Amino acid sequence: MPTSTYLPSPIVVVNSIDLSDQCTAANLTLNYESQENSSFASPNRSYVAGMGNHELTLTLYMSYAASETYATLKALVGTQTTVRVKPVTGNESATNPDFVLTGCYLEALPVMNASLGELSTIDITFTGGAYTEDVTV
Amino acid sequence: MYEIISPRVGIPGAIFEPRPGVNVEALLSGGFIKQSTKGTVKSAKNKTEPDTEPESTED
Repeated sequence: MPTSTYLPSPIVVVNSIDLSDQCTAANLTLNYESQENSSFASPNRSYVAGMGNHELTLTLYMSYAASETYATLKALVGTQTTVRVKPVTGNESATNPDFVLTGCYLEALPVMNASLGELSTIDITFTGGAYTEDVTV
Repeated sequence: MYEIISPRVGIPGAIFEPRPGVNVEALLSGGFIKQSTKGTVKSAKNKTEPDTEPESTED
């Protein structure tokens, strides 16, 4: 049995707007493009980090009400913004780091995803930007 | 300077200081914040006395 686990209840902030109550999934992945630096001197291929190309994917309930999902995102599609996610509510700390993507890009926004008898949700992806981890208040 | 309108951004009425990279235009157009008039300092009014020459007391 693990000594510590995490039951997800993250804080999700898009362009300074807290969308935690509309969010059901948040996946932030750090990516650094691999650049091969193998040579004849080594029998194995080797790689070093190239450019960072990070990605945050969110699943959100869709709502067209004021200050909700659509109102938050409609002006962001095709632009850069800043997104933040942290494990739980409360101040940033070493055990509750605020993961920040500054200047990430929202390429696409599904404006309608409707199925009979189901609450509408959308998946959006922010890509690129500068990654930082904020552990201070 | 901006003022928070939506509680999703912060405490309504408080001053909003955007973090680097935040799209302020999107927040304004969505009605989440507004331009604030708080904190603008009026310039002090200087009373200008009409130039008066001192009256001579000599007779």
